[in-house]
Amino acid sequence: MTPVLEVSGYTLDYATRQGAMRALEDVSLSVGRGEVVGVVGESGSGKTSLAWAVMRHLPGNAIERAGALRLSGTDLRALPPRELARLRGRRIAMVFQDPSTSLNPTLTLGRQITEVLERHRGLSAGEAEAEAASMFAHVGLQDPRGLMRRYPHEASGGEKQRVVIAIAFACRPDCIIFDEPTTALDVMTARQILELFRTLQAETGVASLYISHDLAIVSGIAARVAVIHRGRIVEQGPTRKVLGAPAEDYTRDLLRAVPRPEERLTHTMPEAGAPLVSARDLTVRYGRASLFSGLLGRRSTEVVGAAEVTLAVQPGEILGIVGESGSGKSTLARALTGLASFDGRLNFAGRSVTGASDMGRDYRRDVQIVFQHPDASLNPRQRVREILSRPLRLYGDAKRRNAEAAVAALLEAVSLPPDFADRFPHQLSGGEKQRVAIARAFAPRPKLVICDEVTSSLDVSVQAAVIRLLARLQRETGAAFLFITHDINLVRQIAHRIAVMHRGRLVETITVEALHARGPAHDYTARLMAAVPRLTIGDSPHVA
Amino acid sequence: MSGRYLLRRTALILYTLLVVSVLVFGITQVLPADAATMLLGENATPEQLAAIRARLGLNDPVWTQYLRWLGGVASGDFGISLRSGLPVLPQVAEALSRSLLLALLSIGLMLAIALPLGILAAVRRGGLADLGVSLASYVGISLPEFVTATLGILLFADTLGWLPATGYVPLTEDPARSLLHLVLPVATVSLILIAHVSRMVRSELVDALHTDYVRAARLKGLPEGAVLRRHALRNALLPTITIVALDVGYVLGGIIVVEEIFAIPGIGRTLIVAIQNRDLPMIQAGALIMAATYCLMNFAADLLYAALDKRIQYA
Amino acid sequence: MPDIVRRLLRTPQGVIGLALVLLVLTLAILGPLAAPHDPDALSPLRRYRPPGGDFLFGTDQLGRDILSRLLVGARATVLLALLATFLGTMAGAVIGTASAFLGGRVDEAVMRTVDALMAMPSLLLALLIVSVLGRGSENAVLAIAIAFTPGMARITRSVALAVRRQDYVNAAIARGEGSFYIVTREMLPNVVAPIVVEMSIRVAFAIMLFATLSFLGLGAQPPASEWGLMVSEARRFMHLSPWMIVWPAAAIAFVAIGFNLLGDGLRDALNPRT
Repeated sequence: MTPVLEVSGYTLDYATRQGAMRALEDVSLSVGRGEVVGVVGESGSGKTSLAWAVMRHLPGNAIERAGALRLSGTDLRALPPRELARLRGRRIAMVFQDPSTSLNPTLTLGRQITEVLERHRGLSAGEAEAEAASMFAHVGLQDPRGLMRRYPHEASGGEKQRVVIAIAFACRPDCIIFDEPTTALDVMTARQILELFRTLQAETGVASLYISHDLAIVSGIAARVAVIHRGRIVEQGPTRKVLGAPAEDYTRDLLRAVPRPEERLTHTMPEAGAPLVSARDLTVRYGRASLFSGLLGRRSTEVVGAAEVTLAVQPGEILGIVGESGSGKSTLARALTGLASFDGRLNFAGRSVTGASDMGRDYRRDVQIVFQHPDASLNPRQRVREILSRPLRLYGDAKRRNAEAAVAALLEAVSLPPDFADRFPHQLSGGEKQRVAIARAFAPRPKLVICDEVTSSLDVSVQAAVIRLLARLQRETGAAFLFITHDINLVRQIAHRIAVMHRGRLVETITVEALHARGPAHDYTARLMAAVPRLTIGDSPHVA
Repeated sequence: MSGRYLLRRTALILYTLLVVSVLVFGITQVLPADAATMLLGENATPEQLAAIRARLGLNDPVWTQYLRWLGGVASGDFGISLRSGLPVLPQVAEALSRSLLLALLSIGLMLAIALPLGILAAVRRGGLADLGVSLASYVGISLPEFVTATLGILLFADTLGWLPATGYVPLTEDPARSLLHLVLPVATVSLILIAHVSRMVRSELVDALHTDYVRAARLKGLPEGAVLRRHALRNALLPTITIVALDVGYVLGGIIVVEEIFAIPGIGRTLIVAIQNRDLPMIQAGALIMAATYCLMNFAADLLYAALDKRIQYA
Repeated sequence: MPDIVRRLLRTPQGVIGLALVLLVLTLAILGPLAAPHDPDALSPLRRYRPPGGDFLFGTDQLGRDILSRLLVGARATVLLALLATFLGTMAGAVIGTASAFLGGRVDEAVMRTVDALMAMPSLLLALLIVSVLGRGSENAVLAIAIAFTPGMARITRSVALAVRRQDYVNAAIARGEGSFYIVTREMLPNVVAPIVVEMSIRVAFAIMLFATLSFLGLGAQPPASEWGLMVSEARRFMHLSPWMIVWPAAAIAFVAIGFNLLGDGLRDALNPRT
């Protein structure tokens, strides 16, 4: 039987200033009717280029060197633009990563689907509206007619992505490409979208090419998987075989890098005795009254970032803080570092701290923070040397002569070569930049290190290396960690205790052993754990 | 759009006008001229000067004079022109109406030409049309009004004799001749506007054509025309409204020079004459009116923008 | 820094703009030395000459060589406009950065006032200031600098705010760095680049504004050979020799185009996306 989508020996270059850069090399894969084929790769692997190539929407500097792309036998490369426009949306469609940017902000949600129905299925305006409403209902949207009249910014992330999926399925295409459709969504919402995908795919039998960086997700939904690395398909085959018994080193490394709660990375124990940090009824409020609104007697619009949080961290303890976006976990970090003012009680090393003005030199030295985005947390106009020597000079630990040696020692501690000291941040990769940020945090030998989603922007293999680095540093320095993340599998690998936050409130605090032995006590934690995709090998594919 | 927003906006406009009035009043106080000498001339006796000063309240502290003037303005009395002895407000209002004609025609011409040009340049990006429009707009934004006006007069009036060099004919008197006299002034003011706005439109449209949602629209198989109209242009033209509103401020400045060169008795010319003659009440009124016009235009642009961009909520 | 120049030279605007500006600056600085004739030398017998022979650009109503006048006048038109832009930018940058850093009510009050000042057209503001200070080139420079300050303050503030939001500033605050350090070592180096772009675009506007003020008789005074003044003086004698207007007009356009191109080129060069 002819496969619906067939890519054979496809090779693609991009023309750049430094010459031709190979993006895809001799890529071959196929997707049959009713099949889900996963394409797994990290950033820069070429998986996105593959999607654009199939949709025939490559950038201007793309040079197709070889190979064929066929949709149900039709040669896509040979199609003239007008034919292509008729094909797109009708026989092949795409679901994009970020629904906030892939929907037109000035058109109603209803219009964005009716225009496809009118164009490809020849429906009249009235027919299209009725069909659109029924499609919206079919993808699980509440109040379809009402939503059709609304604009994208009036819908949530999950609702928007359902709309995007509805648009893709609207004309019953032969094949749909899904480009990381859940990456921009919250864990719970992502789970729902994945369910929706499975339902619709099973129902319509559409050939699906599912692109993702997340092995766990792909393992749960794809019958076959292709692993792509630097433009080449390293390995492909039935999911059970590729992920269960990988033949290639790269696949093995990739699998090893996926956070698994069973694989414990921390082997230290927290110190007993008085807690290092203790917060009681900590509350952070955002928003202030503007000058004019005060004059007009308007109430200030206040948002509560964190409400009445009570927790304690022992010296040498790794406390993981888990929650979805908006749960208040980053707010907590900001309060502890004086970036946000708070109400309530905070004690550090026995002393009471009321706010930023209370945080003297000792506090600043003892409490350090590493941010999520390494591009933004390093000053682009300072060399690594200056970035690292600043905390040393600030806290008076190093004299002028020793600065060079101290910087070299710091770089070595984070496994970076000493000549990186001369470089600017833009000359480093994302993982290298994050290591510099970590070195900067550990430079003054702090007692508490706050890690605010430090691996969320990194590729999974880089993330694994950074996590192991943090575990090693914790072991060597005995510092306490406040490890903030949305990835509950990751936090179970590294933390001693886990605190779960939801909508600004601390929902539950539980040790990792208790979690493993008895499971979560609170319902929200249970739902959060259930929503996170687990790597499933050997079982029949399901989202665990 | 709530009443609270309107109230807030009005408060801001009033604050702006207040600041402008303080600034202008402050500047005119520093002007090396004496209102009394202006009114009575060089040959007035010291007693006469003293009498006039007392009558006009010029011996009072600056703040008092300012508040007195402000009070007058609030009740519609802008004072008496030191040059003509007539009330300021009617003069300024009449001058403003003439300037408004010039301004409206210029903006109308600008919209009619700049929008299509900008769209063309963006759609045919990198091509000959784009290059042509870009070159023309670089030249357009680099020519001060007085240069364009003078060259225009040189070419069309002196050399070719097609148009009158200077002068103003009221619209009501003789529409044909009136418009003929307005051709060069309007063209001069519009040139910079067209150059600037077409560049903005091009830039916004190019950005819009590279967004994810335009890409999504293309991948839905929509015809290019629909993609351009319904998806790209709808989003690209929004910021243009703001740009046009900001340009009004520039138009007001350009009008000053253009009216001076073409001898059009509008508010720009009135201001220049007032500045040269140290006619303080006239200067104050003129500056205030210009600032008020600018504020109102911005307000109107914000309202229009809010009505069109669904994302903005003015609570 | 050389990296910026390399990126600049990648775009046609960058190349042409840089070339034009360098040419103009060279002429402005060396002009008087290169002038073939004394710009103030009167030759009543050789008035209204078209270009050719001794006088490459022709002569004006007093028999003065137009080319020489242009070269000498470049100093006034170009360098003074640069000075005015620089002064206005400095003043605006200080106000804008401080306002952004202080935040809160101070920031809001300052910005509302800046907005109010921007409600007056720059030309009008400059006119008023010049009429207070008196005619002359120096006062025109000051007037333009003052007129530019609110606009530059607003731009600097928005750039500074964007920089302020970056995590490396947060990291510095979390380290307990003093305000002075944060503003000068963390924020300012990253604010400078966009400001330089804005400045080069503003220079074009300053040149045009300066020429306009001189045209209106409020800037450079005769017998100075500032280009705007030359156009103004030539108006009466246009019909006798168009060259008296064409050359200074072309010169103004030439320089303004150069700075506009350079500004656009710099903006593209500093844009991380391209």
